[in-house]
Amino acid sequence: MRKLFLLLLLIAVAGGGYWFMFLRDQAPERPSADFADEKPATGLDPDNPTRELHVDFAELERTKPLTREERARLTPANLAGLSQEEVDQIYGRLSAGPIPDGYWDGGLFFPRGSGGKTRMGEIIGSVLGEIVNEKVQFAERIGHGLWQGKFFFKEQGVLRNAIQDLKLFEILIDDPTKVPKAEIPAKGWRSWISSTSDVWQLFPAKLHCGQSLLDGRRESVIIDYAYTDDVDGYQELPDSLAGRRGLRIRDEIRMVRPGFYLGRAYADRIFLLNFTLYDPAIAEAGMQGFLNGEDITEECWPGETGLAAAN
Amino acid sequence: MNRTPLMAIVAGILAFFLLLSGPAAAQVSLSEGYAKTVESLDAKLPNLPEPKASPRAGSEIWFNATAFNDRFFTYAFQQRLGAAIDWFWVFGAKYRADIFQRWGGIPDPDCCVPGDPNCPAKSLDETYGFQWCPGDGQLLQFVGKLGYKDPACDLKDSASAAANQAQNACDLHFGTSTGVLGLRKFPNPRFNAEKWKALNGSLGSWDCFRGKGDAEGKCNGKAAAKHFFDGAVEPPFRIGMACGACHIGYKPDNPPADPDKPAWDNIDGLVGNQYSRISNLLGSGFTPHDLEWQLIARARPGIVDTSALPMDFVSNPGTMNAIINFARRPLHEHNILKWRKAASCEANSAPDACWCEPGKQGKCWQRGTQKELVQNILKGGEDSIGLREAIQRVYFNIGSCSEQCWLNHLPDVRAADPGQRNYGQSPFGVGQCRRDCAAFRAIEDRLPDLEAVFMTARPSDLWTARGITREQLEAQLDQEFFPGAVKRGREVFARQCASCHSSQPEPHDTADFHATDPNDPTLRLDWLGNDEVHPASEIGTFAGRSLHSNHMPSRVWEEYAALDLRERAPDPGRKEVMKGAGRGYYRNISLLSTWAHAPFMHNNAIGPEICGQTTVNEQGDLDFNENLYVTKDGTPLDGAPACRAFDASAEGRYRLYVDSMRDMLNPAKRIPKMHLLSHDVIIPVVPKIEDSKLAQALGVSLSIKFPKGKPALDVGSLRFKDLIQDMVLVLRGEQKFTAKYQALLDQGQRDELQAGLKRMHLELLKAAGKDYFEVNDEARAFIQKFYSTTLERVENNGHRFGESLSDQDKDALIAFVATL
Repeated sequence: MRKLFLLLLLIAVAGGGYWFMFLRDQAPERPSADFADEKPATGLDPDNPTRELHVDFAELERTKPLTREERARLTPANLAGLSQEEVDQIYGRLSAGPIPDGYWDGGLFFPRGSGGKTRMGEIIGSVLGEIVNEKVQFAERIGHGLWQGKFFFKEQGVLRNAIQDLKLFEILIDDPTKVPKAEIPAKGWRSWISSTSDVWQLFPAKLHCGQSLLDGRRESVIIDYAYTDDVDGYQELPDSLAGRRGLRIRDEIRMVRPGFYLGRAYADRIFLLNFTLYDPAIAEAGMQGFLNGEDITEECWPGETGLAAAN
Repeated sequence: MNRTPLMAIVAGILAFFLLLSGPAAAQVSLSEGYAKTVESLDAKLPNLPEPKASPRAGSEIWFNATAFNDRFFTYAFQQRLGAAIDWFWVFGAKYRADIFQRWGGIPDPDCCVPGDPNCPAKSLDETYGFQWCPGDGQLLQFVGKLGYKDPACDLKDSASAAANQAQNACDLHFGTSTGVLGLRKFPNPRFNAEKWKALNGSLGSWDCFRGKGDAEGKCNGKAAAKHFFDGAVEPPFRIGMACGACHIGYKPDNPPADPDKPAWDNIDGLVGNQYSRISNLLGSGFTPHDLEWQLIARARPGIVDTSALPMDFVSNPGTMNAIINFARRPLHEHNILKWRKAASCEANSAPDACWCEPGKQGKCWQRGTQKELVQNILKGGEDSIGLREAIQRVYFNIGSCSEQCWLNHLPDVRAADPGQRNYGQSPFGVGQCRRDCAAFRAIEDRLPDLEAVFMTARPSDLWTARGITREQLEAQLDQEFFPGAVKRGREVFARQCASCHSSQPEPHDTADFHATDPNDPTLRLDWLGNDEVHPASEIGTFAGRSLHSNHMPSRVWEEYAALDLRERAPDPGRKEVMKGAGRGYYRNISLLSTWAHAPFMHNNAIGPEICGQTTVNEQGDLDFNENLYVTKDGTPLDGAPACRAFDASAEGRYRLYVDSMRDMLNPAKRIPKMHLLSHDVIIPVVPKIEDSKLAQALGVSLSIKFPKGKPALDVGSLRFKDLIQDMVLVLRGEQKFTAKYQALLDQGQRDELQAGLKRMHLELLKAAGKDYFEVNDEARAFIQKFYSTTLERVENNGHRFGESLSDQDKDALIAFVATL
């Protein structure tokens, strides 16, 4: 039983999760952003002629910069319907923006191949691949249910994850009475019962600017779980599960537009899943200014060329 | 109000702010000793074409320019590539005595330990534990702040650079010395002094950052942990690397009396550092259990795997080439696609075909294919598109412009999905780099200066080192070996060696191998090598270096390879599965000053092993001086020869040369050398949880264990990503497997590969409940056969030329080559 809970929790810590449980099934429209499918001008790999090569982000940004209008039309829902390469091409044309503060609702989605299946299911293929595809999608839904979002404590350079407060999970925690708790706006079916929902603040992480594992041309905001044993309220179990002696979870995020960030979660530098962070109030307040071309605060290194082409 | 006091106040305020933000000083201003070594350089090449390049400026750039790689070695190296450097172990003032002995680094004569008499810094807190070096008076004021004015800004540029409308010299990024020549430091504006003190106890300590706890192994009451990967803790300095880090060495003909305390007169920027432990340095923050340690850091002194960072999964460390006598280096015609200067571009040219720098009239570049006469540079000659381009490429090897242009083209070691970005290499664009990285332009615009300083370097002669004439040296050698040894050696050399090791046309019976240019008696006419390339199997030496793959189509340095060299036929003598696209060749080397550059071969493996003698040793230090001698069965040899202590003196070099020559000429007597895994290396297929209780609770663990005692190359040259991908492809029974191997393997080999993969899959399933899958001998044989990029394991085989000579002729050859 403990194993199962830990597995579920692992899925939760890896990423984000504002979202209704079955939103994907509502098949949101594809965003209108321009994507590149051309390959680099190079010969085949002599050692593996089937190896896929992807368009260089610098070239992509030069030829198909992501406009503010395109970014404004991106939503947590329509991003989740894209193939992983398309999600990557969005991420590679974003910058870190300001480091978020306060509570942000989260959503997560696993990598999908070009056919719409989860990448894991696509790699394995055939009947087994179909089964794996279903399992991954199930895990995704569980993740949505458990992981609610992230609390950013910007001044302290710390972040904590909002995990659904379920009595059932107390057996996984060294001392449940010491876990910081908070109220967040209720989502989904919970909002029919109450306007707020209780969550635990678990899995602390350090918050700083740093290297993107996808696009090195500019920094991302990094959420690193490796060195958190000195954070107030740290509990060996379950917090170390995400830490340097555990799965070495490391998230990175970039700003799509005010109030909306796109993130990537890695375990020991192996890419796991995408996630989104959303603050509806900031998103609403900031949209017009964003479309009007207001400057974006960059708190991390924006690269040598920045996003000038897209602004 | 009287205006004079007001003006004085204003002037005072201005002076205060000027003092705060600079004045920067170029390196010649910071170091009187260094300035003396370069002051006469420009006069050495009076006939350079107008507008004149400046060897002096070239030297300053070579010694000091990092071209914006300080961010690479502070952030990208650790976070993106997963590599860890323990900088304090290298630069900490308390380790000063071991700079040369542990790292083979060349100590900066101008730096001092805080608190020592005459040292401007009085405490380690002032310098954050490092030595104090010239320019630090300014630099230290900007630790934790923005606004540092780099000394490069004050570089006195050449007429050539001015004519090139050179990029601002500030973009060369000099910083100040770390205490080790070629490694530079920069103030980290993100440094937080309070945070640092809270972690380490004081500004001068790095103990808890390095994971060195108290007597109980604790920091602040918790178990100490290395913070090299912790991006939340910003160190006081960002460290950058100049080309000089590997190429600066001691002058063979004027070595320091004490190699731990050299003077500037003893230092040469181009001779190459045969003692350098730069590979070990780059992995100094790891443990030997780490995969990355095996990939990056396994190397003997004087060699470095320049493709380790681009991760081509070919373990192929090679020596730093001695840059001497380049004016007489042979040229070879190649078909070259590259960027060349142009006066203009047609309107609407694609920027990847022709590009003019905005705001710089007539500063344009066009890409096209032409046949050109160029030098064969890399050890297989594969990057031969021109000397200047080869120099520029060195800056990529050391991390310059990494974020701007090439990091996105490197694989992530752990990216296992072949459809994912960063799964494998892709070619970076020189044109894109030029457009997007100012540091690239800052170097490129000054390449004539760098080329010019190359042209000033000359061979080091043993007779000069001994303070005698060549005739007197020959007499000494005759006395040492036998009367007439040098004369006889010349005859043997002309007959047996000169066809590869001379740039003069055959026949060599009457060739003067010592001839010099009448207009410049310091310049040898014979390069003592023809730089022709041959299949590595013909040479017989360890083939790893010849099999490196970064120059191939679809790989990271694709644009730095001559087209015709990529089209060379595969060496039929090779058993590796992957051997096409121009791999498998070695270039003949020059024998100029051979007496000073032992041990031999591209990996320094033929000859005695050499090592430093450290004095400041601490518990847990990595051991670089492993026994590399093995039995014929590949097990460690009991009673193996001890490594020979670093000896940079002329006689030390000469003795090493003699013993290395004997080793080379007597291959049957060589004891095989092989790097063995000194510890088990466990590669997690799914992320590994170190805490066994947690791992047990989660029940998810799959790792592959390569056991201690097996060749390190089993891991260092393993195409493990292909192995994982192929297991999936075989299970799916897809045609993609066939498509992948159709041109590489015949049907029988494909069947064997498929069968082996299926067997491995079953073995992995059996291991699913265990901590790891241990690679047994059967699995090892199969994996290595199909997935090793280099099948050879013994590192000191080959070059058997001369084996059949009589003992006397071997002695004669040793005597004669010592005079070259």
